[in-house]
Parts: sequence; C-alpha cells; structure tokens
Amino acid sequence: MSVELANISIARPATIEEAVALASGPDARYLAGGTDLLVNMRRGITRAARLIDLAGVDALKSISCDASGVVVGAGVELARLIEHEEISRRFPAIVQAAAAIAAPGHRNVATLGGNLCLDTRCVYYNQSEWWRSANAWCLKNRGDTCHVAPQGERCHAAFSGDLAPVLLVLGAEIEVAGPAGRRRMPLAELYVEDGRAHLTLAHGELLVAVHLPADGRNAAYEKVRLRGAIDYPLAGVAVAMTMQDGRIESLRVGLTGLNSRPLLVAGTEAFAGRAVDDDLLKAVDRLVQHQAQPVRTTLAAAHYRRLAAAAVARRLVRRLAGG
Amino acid sequence: MHGSAKPRKRLVRIEVNGRWCEDAVSDGDLLVDYLRDVAHLTSVKVGCDGGECGACTVLLDGVPVSACLTLVVRCEGRNVETVEGLVKQGRPNRLQQAFHEKLGAQCGFCTPGMIMASEALLRRNPHPSDDEIRAALAGNLCRCTGYVKIIESVRHAAEASA
Amino acid sequence: MSAVYKARTGRQGVPLIDGVDKVTGRALYTADLDRNGALVGRILRSPVAHAEIVRIDVSKACALDGVAAIVTGADCRFTYGVLPIAMNEYPLARERVRYRGEPVAAVAAIDEETAQRALDLIEIEFKELPAYFESKDARAPDAVLLHDKKPGNIEREVHHDFGDLDAGFAAADLVREHRVTCAEINHAQIEPHACLAEFDPVSGRLTVQDVSQVVYYLHLTLARCLELDEAQIRVIKPFVGGGFGARVEVLNFEIVTALLARAAGGKVFMQLTREETFLTHRARPQTDIALRLGMTKDGRFTACACVVTQRGGAYAGYGVVTILYAGALLQGIYDIPAIKYDGYRVYANLPPCGAMRGHGGVNTRFAFETLVDRMARELGLDPFAVRRANLLQAPMQTMNGLMVQSYGLAECLDAVERASGWKERFGRMPPGKGLGMACSHYVSGSAKPIHFTGEPHAVIHLKLDHDGGVTALTGAADIGQGSSTMVAIAVAETLGVGLDRIRVVSSDTAVTPKDNGAYSSRITFMVGNAAIAAANNLKALLTAAAARTLDAAVEEIVCEGGYFRVGDMGQAALSFKEVVAAALVDEGAISVKGAFTCPVEFQGGKHRGGAVGSTMGFSYAAQVVETSVDDATGQVTVDKVWVALDCGHAINPLAVAGQIEGSVWMGMGQALCEETRYLNGLAAHASFLDYRMPTIVESPQIEAFVVESHDPNGPFGAKEASEGALAGFPPALVSAIGNATGVDLHEIPATPDRLLEAIGKSRLKAAAAARKARAAS
Repeated sequence: MSVELANISIARPATIEEAVALASGPDARYLAGGTDLLVNMRRGITRAARLIDLAGVDALKSISCDASGVVVGAGVELARLIEHEEISRRFPAIVQAAAAIAAPGHRNVATLGGNLCLDTRCVYYNQSEWWRSANAWCLKNRGDTCHVAPQGERCHAAFSGDLAPVLLVLGAEIEVAGPAGRRRMPLAELYVEDGRAHLTLAHGELLVAVHLPADGRNAAYEKVRLRGAIDYPLAGVAVAMTMQDGRIESLRVGLTGLNSRPLLVAGTEAFAGRAVDDDLLKAVDRLVQHQAQPVRTTLAAAHYRRLAAAAVARRLVRRLAGG
Repeated sequence: MHGSAKPRKRLVRIEVNGRWCEDAVSDGDLLVDYLRDVAHLTSVKVGCDGGECGACTVLLDGVPVSACLTLVVRCEGRNVETVEGLVKQGRPNRLQQAFHEKLGAQCGFCTPGMIMASEALLRRNPHPSDDEIRAALAGNLCRCTGYVKIIESVRHAAEASA
Repeated sequence: MSAVYKARTGRQGVPLIDGVDKVTGRALYTADLDRNGALVGRILRSPVAHAEIVRIDVSKACALDGVAAIVTGADCRFTYGVLPIAMNEYPLARERVRYRGEPVAAVAAIDEETAQRALDLIEIEFKELPAYFESKDARAPDAVLLHDKKPGNIEREVHHDFGDLDAGFAAADLVREHRVTCAEINHAQIEPHACLAEFDPVSGRLTVQDVSQVVYYLHLTLARCLELDEAQIRVIKPFVGGGFGARVEVLNFEIVTALLARAAGGKVFMQLTREETFLTHRARPQTDIALRLGMTKDGRFTACACVVTQRGGAYAGYGVVTILYAGALLQGIYDIPAIKYDGYRVYANLPPCGAMRGHGGVNTRFAFETLVDRMARELGLDPFAVRRANLLQAPMQTMNGLMVQSYGLAECLDAVERASGWKERFGRMPPGKGLGMACSHYVSGSAKPIHFTGEPHAVIHLKLDHDGGVTALTGAADIGQGSSTMVAIAVAETLGVGLDRIRVVSSDTAVTPKDNGAYSSRITFMVGNAAIAAANNLKALLTAAAARTLDAAVEEIVCEGGYFRVGDMGQAALSFKEVVAAALVDEGAISVKGAFTCPVEFQGGKHRGGAVGSTMGFSYAAQVVETSVDDATGQVTVDKVWVALDCGHAINPLAVAGQIEGSVWMGMGQALCEETRYLNGLAAHASFLDYRMPTIVESPQIEAFVVESHDPNGPFGAKEASEGALAGFPPALVSAIGNATGVDLHEIPATPDRLLEAIGKSRLKAAAAARKARAAS
C-alpha cells in the first residue's frame, strides 16, 4: 500500500565491490536494515529509484577480535552486537547504547552502519508529505527556510543515532569503500555540523567496518527519553574515562540528539590529573552545556535537552569514577 | 487495465506458516501487504504509518520483525510465521490460550503482534522474568490492557509449558 | 455491606466469548474485510488553518484514468454533529475550512496510486483568515469568529451556582486557589480509522461496515447527510480495535466513504493513515482550570469555586456535554456544601475535540484532588483522613440533582491504604521517592439519551429455536471492553444455563435492535438490565412450558443448573432442551425482548444542562501511586499503583480487573507523557513516535481491588468499571511527585522538561527565601 515504494528497484549484491559498483549509478542508495530509510521513503523525505540491498553482503557482517583490537562489520545487526560476548565484555557502553535503540523488532534488522549513518531528524522534517507541503517544506527537504531557525543559513536537524557518541569516546575509526577504493579515518571525520548533509561520504561510498581499540571497559552510555523504548534520544551521553591513582588519566564525553552531528566534547584533556570532585563535575557540566547546541528540532524544549545532557554527563563521570 | 508502466515483477518463494508460496511481487512491496493482501493473513495488522506500533510483528526465520519495515524480496527462501500459523488442528498454542484465558487481549488489535513477539521470546527463553518480558515486548504498543494482563499471559504460558 | 476482594484472586471471571478469535487471528476488523472489487477512497485535507474556499476545481482529477468518483462539499449540504443542538460541521468543508487537516474533497479510484494522483490534481484556492490556536487568542475581542452567532468564539458558557458559596468560604479555616493546565490528549486506539461502504444503485441501498462505537447514530447521520430513507441503510460493526471515545460520534470519513460509494455506484474502502486518524481527533481538550477550595482545620470541605476553559477545536462535536460534565462531576463524590462552576468552551482552529474515557471529569478532578492534597499538607492532615471527612451518605441526591444510590468509596480508601502500606510509609519515603493518592468517580451511563425519542434506553432480543440455543441480539457495540460477554453472562445467569448455550450477535442495524452505543459507560448498566429483563421474559415462557409438561403450577417450578423441576426437592426434572421442545409446541421459534429505561427522577437537575452528569449509579475509585523522581533529568518512574474500584458488582471479575488496569494506565499516559502538540495548527504529534503513549517497559505493576456496593438498580447490583479509576491517576501521580521532590506541579503531563523547570524554579525560590531569612537575622 505504499505508493512511494511502488516504482523502486532493488539490487542485491553479494560483495562490497559489487555493491559499490551498483551504487555509483544515479538515484541509487544503500539499504541496510531499512528501519529508518524505508519509513523516510514512505514519507517521501528520502527518494531513490534504486536501492542497493546490503543484506546479502557477508563481508559486512563479520566481527573479529584479537589483542590489537576489534573490527565490527557495518552490516552487523544491533541485536547481534548486543548478544556478542566479546563485545559486551570489552565494550559494555556499546551494548548499553545498542540496547537503547528503538525496539527489539528494529534491532533484529537495524545495523551498526545504519545507525552511524542515520539521517538527521527534526519535527519539521519527519512528517508526511501533506504535512510538509502544508508547511511550505523546509531547508532539508524541497524548501528554502529552516523553520527551526528561519533567519539562519543552515539546517539544524539533529543527529539522533545512539552508537556514534560511544564509538567517538572509544576512539573508533571507520573504514569506507568507494569507487576510488578504500580509506580509513577517525569516526569524527564522518560527520559535519550540517543537518542537511551531515555525512562526509561521497556518492557511492559505503561504510564497511568500524575499528575499535582492544578494550573499552571503562565507558558508559545513557540516553534521556520520555519512554523506556522506541524513542530517539532527547539527549544521549557517552563517557569514557580512565583513572590512575584516584586521578583522571583520560576523560572523553560524546553527545548525540543535540547537534546535527554526534559531538566529541572538546577540551576534556584539560581534566587529566584531576580528582573527580564537585568542581570537576561542575566543569564537565559547563563544558557540555557550552558545546551542546540543541534547537527546537523536537517537541521537548531545547533548553531541557542541554540541561539533561549535562546532568547525565556528570552522573556518568561520577559513576565511572566509582562514586 | 490502467496505464502507468510499472517495473516488472519477480517471483519469490517464501515459506509462510509451513507452506511454500510462490508469488510475483514488485521490488518495493512490503511484507505486511504481501501477507495481508496476497497470503490473506489478516492477523498482520497495520496500526501506524511505519515501524512504530509493532502490530505487524511476524517471525522471519524465527526472529520478530515489523512486516511494515520488511521488503518481500528480502524474504526469498526464508520462513515467515504469523499468529495463524501457531494454531495446530484448530487449537490455539500455549501462548494464544494464555492470552485468551488471562485476558491478555481486550480489543485484540495488537494481539497477533504481541503474541508473535512473545512466541519468539519463549522459544529463546522459556522462563523469562517480568523484566525480560517487558524488554521483549517493548516495541508492541497496546492501548487497552495497561500491559498488566499481557505480562500475566506470557508468564502463564511459560508456566504452562514447564 | 460492601465486599472487598483483590480482583486477581477473588471470584473467577470468564474469558471473552470472542477471545479465541482474537488470539488466533480469525477476528476480522474493518480493514480485514473482503475488499474484492472495492475502490480505494482517499481524502484531500486542508493545508490551511482558517480560510474561505474561493474555488475548488476537480476537472483535472476527474479526467484521470481510473478515477471513479470525486466528492466535495457541494455533494453534501447537510451538517452533522452528535448533539442535535450543535450540528455545525459538514463532512466535506463548504465555503470555509477551520483547521489544518479538515476534509475538503475525496476521491474513489481503482488503486491507491491513482487516488493519490487524483488528489494532487485537485485545485483549491483559499482566502486565508486569521487563525487561533490558543483559547485566549480565540477569545480576544477583535478575533474573527469561527462560527456565526458565537461571540467571543465561545461555543458554550456554563454558570452553575449551588449552595451558599460566600458562607462556605467564610466558614473555612483555609482557603486556597490554584491554576492548572492539562494538555490535550488523544485516544490513540491502535486500530486506525477505516470504513467499507457499498451502494447498490438498483435497490438504492447502502451498507456500511465501520469502526464505530455508535452504530445507530451513524445510521441516522448517513440517512440525514445522504438524504436516504433510514430503511435503505444497514450499518454493521465488525471487530473494532479500541475506541475510548474516538468513535462515539459520527466521524467525517464515515460519511465521506458513503458519499463516494454512492457517487461511484459501488464499493469503496477507506483506510485512514495514523496521521489522519490523529487529525480526526475528538479527544480530551487542552484545559485551563482555576480552582478555589475552602477547608476547615479538620479537613471538611466548605466551598468550591471552579473556572474551566476548554479549547474545543473547530467544531462543536460533544463540546457542550464536555464543558457541562466538567462542572457536574465536581459533585457526587464528596459532601461539599457550596459549589460554583463557570465553564467556557472555546472554538479554535484545531481538530475538534470530543469525548474521551472519563469524559469531562478528568481534568477538573486533577485540579481538585491536587489542591486537596496541598491543603491537607498545609493543615498537617493525612490525605486519606481528608477524603474520609467528606464522604457522602447514600442514598442521597446532590445539589445539582444527581442521585447517589450506592457508594463504596470508604471501602476503596481502606483497601488501597492497607495494600500500599500508606500509614507506615507515607512521610517516610527515601529521597527521590514519593507516595500520592486520589479519588475519582464516573457515571454508569448518561441517564438521559442524546436523542430523545421516548424509546427505552436499551432493548435486547432473545431468539430461541429447536436447537435449544439462545441467541442474544444486541446493538451494544463491543469494542474490546467485553460487552458481548457481559450480555452472554447476564442471559446465562438469569436462565440458569451455561455460557455455551448463548450466542451473541451484536451491532448490525438490519438484525439487532437499536442501541445508543458504547459511550458514557452505559452498556453494563442499561444493556445488562435489558438482557436480564429479556432473559426473565424467556424464562417465564419456559417455566410455563415446564409447568404444563410437569402438570404443576408455574409458581412451583424451580429452574437451575439447566434443569426445571417441581419444588426444590422435585423428583421429576426436565432438561433445558426438553422444556424448549415443550415451549415450541404450537408456537414455533420464540422471540422475546427485554428493555430498560432510566426513570425520569434519575435524569438530573432541572437547571439548564442539568441532564449532563445524571446517571443511575456512580462508580467510585481510590488509588495510591508510588513514584521515583530523578531530579537531575526530571524523569519520573511510576513504581507501583494500588487501585480499588466500586463497580457495584463484578459481573465478570476478569473483565473488570482488565478495565481497571487499562483505565488507570490510560490515566498514567495523560499524567506522564502523552500530549498533542501543534505547530501553527499543524499536528506535530500525529504518529506513535511523537504521541508518546507508554510502552510496556515503563508501565508499572497495578494491583487492582474490586469493591462491591451492590447498587439497588444495577444489573445484579453492577455499575460501570471502565472509566471511574482513570481520573484519580494524574492527581495521585502529581501528588506523589510533590511528595518525592517538594515541588508542586501545575501542569500535566509531568514530562521531564516541565518537571526540571519546576524543580529549578522551586530551588531558586528556596534560595531567595534563605537569602531573605539570612538578611533578616
């Protein structure tokens, strides 16, 4: 009954190379789990004549762990990530974030790569064709005004994936395949602060794997939302922290649901050597509040999302310090 | 016949409730429409505009998925189960019986999806805790019961099969 | 004396008679019906909030291959509306549109894609008018009127004054006033709206299968809007996936589908999207309340003054009833010597509001119970003690003419106080945790029908034939609440036979007797009484046949356990089937009926609007909510709920428990997270992602108790069970949040952003007070 999907064609490649070759054509898009893309296509906010279905590409589905690090294929489903013993042992924060995404039915098909490349979201954007047309479209879709910040030049839709902030604080790198071959880069370089085009992938480029360090045990993720399931984060916070002799060795804070990209909070290296006390927590709070830039992209107040992010950051730092 | 040129259909073979079906489908066809309109399995309900309510939950190779987020072409050669398929010789299975006896179903609209998500849970974890039941049914919205009797129904079915 | 028992462990109930169909997937809902040959119907909706329609041009759409029919406002010149005094809506807008999403035109085409393309080809020219999305803007002196003769955009003003208000406040030791705001919410039944209509141009007959809770009103309205003889119409309700009031009035898409079917001369299937289902709305309005209460130092209420403003949306719907209920239901629960009520129902350029579970009473109950709680705290009184100080003594009549015949509130209070460990725990909760309580009530059916025809309020037919099976024919709409099962139990218990002998056929206007429908919790009380009356009539025929066969006097015949015998010890016994065979001799198949009418003395006060709130029996509920509050993020968790409901008598304890749990939980949704939101009149909540009804994860354990006060007029003593407990949840939760944090919220839902803001304000206030105290010392 979906008019919008009526005329698409699907290609089902078996290898990464085939997939990349197929995707180079015009109007083609990769299809991972489809839990976001198909909804967006049905609403008419994402259009594509051809979907390159990645479900049959086995090379995207491997998880390999050794002493030097862990490599997770972009096509690994969230449910598999959650249940993977080695992942939960080494990276509890990844499991916390993955388990907080949508609902079990989604997690059975949604993938790591899909969550990292999730489209940005906005209350003026994730609406039906009738709704957006009645509202004269928006900067992200067919229009020339951002209804969130009409005087501005850019789209403010918020990145709302749960996994990215965790992978950022863990120092993950990503591997990308494209018509020009493969490249590897820090995850942070996948994103830019533009709600309309927040990914730096070129046309036809495919996220194929995430490279993680050998261990990320002292990290945690928490998400603020109204309900215990289904909801995207109003604010999501990941913290990774190591301590030495009761003092901070390294502290990293990642945010989602606030800006147009997942954000690795800058300036936390200054906390090295400090004890986790009220002053430190206040400083973390200030830093998060300063760098988080939520705007009216959700029905919940933007100011609240900033406060909640800071509160959760404080809490996670205290928790990871053992307090 | 009405005019606009549509892409060619392709044949898919899917095992639906234990019976292999072969049907011509378009690439963009969703499993929910295939099950309702082609296989006439109307237990698979449409409650939302895409992926939000869980009423169309079916098992794909034993794993619960939303049929409204699943392309039929992805089901080629695979096994799909709906609540109709749990009935054997006209008898409801243990979960269906429990949802009936314990009033896990009021209006009944979310019930088939709720039962399929529960069925997947009990196959994997025959004796779940209440929190495990909650986690497994987190994507299935019900507006009638407050979920109290749904949890009781699943618990009862688990006890019945002990 | 009332009996109290725990619903789950008390007398057994029975599963729903149609339950197996639901769990096996056999149950067919409107969208599951045979649509072979049906055209696809789609509606074109207004993109603007308020405008004159200058021009509609459907010529391009008509010319599209595959389009069978197009209808616009020109195709229906009759208004409709559930209240005969307030029919001000057209199924398709004529001349003016008043909200974004209002139907303007509709198409029937051979498939969905064609229908959509046809909608895109319809050209409409609007001349926009100022639009109002808040009550205060709509009421501004210079505001453009949405409807003629409704100055100030007020649909209805109510001013009721009972008792001596000044004397009441003068007698109080403490008088407090607060203002609260309750967000608009929606029923959000999981089944989207759908309708299948078939028109036969040869016979001129229209058959509609649809999701309605009010099949008879739909039948009447279709006749009116399509100018058909009622005898040419048949309306059938298949399985319905929930209502909660969403379908207690005729909805635009139902009439539109029928108009399309007639225009196309065939069958049209209309399935609304979830978004359109939200746009159809008719739910609980955004409400502002100012409530003033007087209390003595021992907790007696002395006077209450309440001003309610409801933002009703663009059309009348049930609005007049809602604004009257909001005042009427201040009474009938506690003894309050003086009550003044001022209500304002306001038009705004938003989807029309209507009736929703707990109709009219929920938001005023929130304002009242939270203020009681805050005043009790100020006076150092226990919240339970305050309620107990103000109980009614049944039977009695309230100041506004409502009759209270049975009253189990005291037992409800006892049950939840004990079960929750209130006495031991209240005031001793650890930081961040709190307890709160509240009471509520609701009518068991509106004693005065909406359409006054002089007919009984409920009629049931029973058919008995050679097979010995009893078929109960009822117009009562089972929408999942289990009313068909209730009818089966009432008939079976009265006849003394097993449920397996009873079949229920419901809601087919060609077959079943007229019934006003599933609203105001009327079915158990009214249809239940009619079912008992019908079964007694049938039993009388059977007893006479048994007496003839056994050669005994009718008075000597005892009927129980499926057997008829002479006297208690009678040796000669006839089986039910033997008696049926005897009764059919010379008569053939038997049809009997039973009817029920609410006597006029129950139909409310003589003042204007006095009929609203009138009922033959009120249900009563008390509940305790335990909560945890995260004061860093403002997130609220409901840990547990204890609730007791006086439903008179639980005809089916299993179903009663299900209704109590479901209604409490629905109150939780309103209290915690549900709200509609509009951006310049565009519904921004119209999905299950943005309209946040609770998932199973955050839904608490609900321990339900049933109190049986045995209403003298109820069927087997029963009253309603599905609405009364709802209204207690929001105040109990907000009081529990206050108990946990010391912060008094004045808004629901208690979303984390609202709560965090309130906590922040309260801390600032406390800091300022501390500074002042320091400066003074």
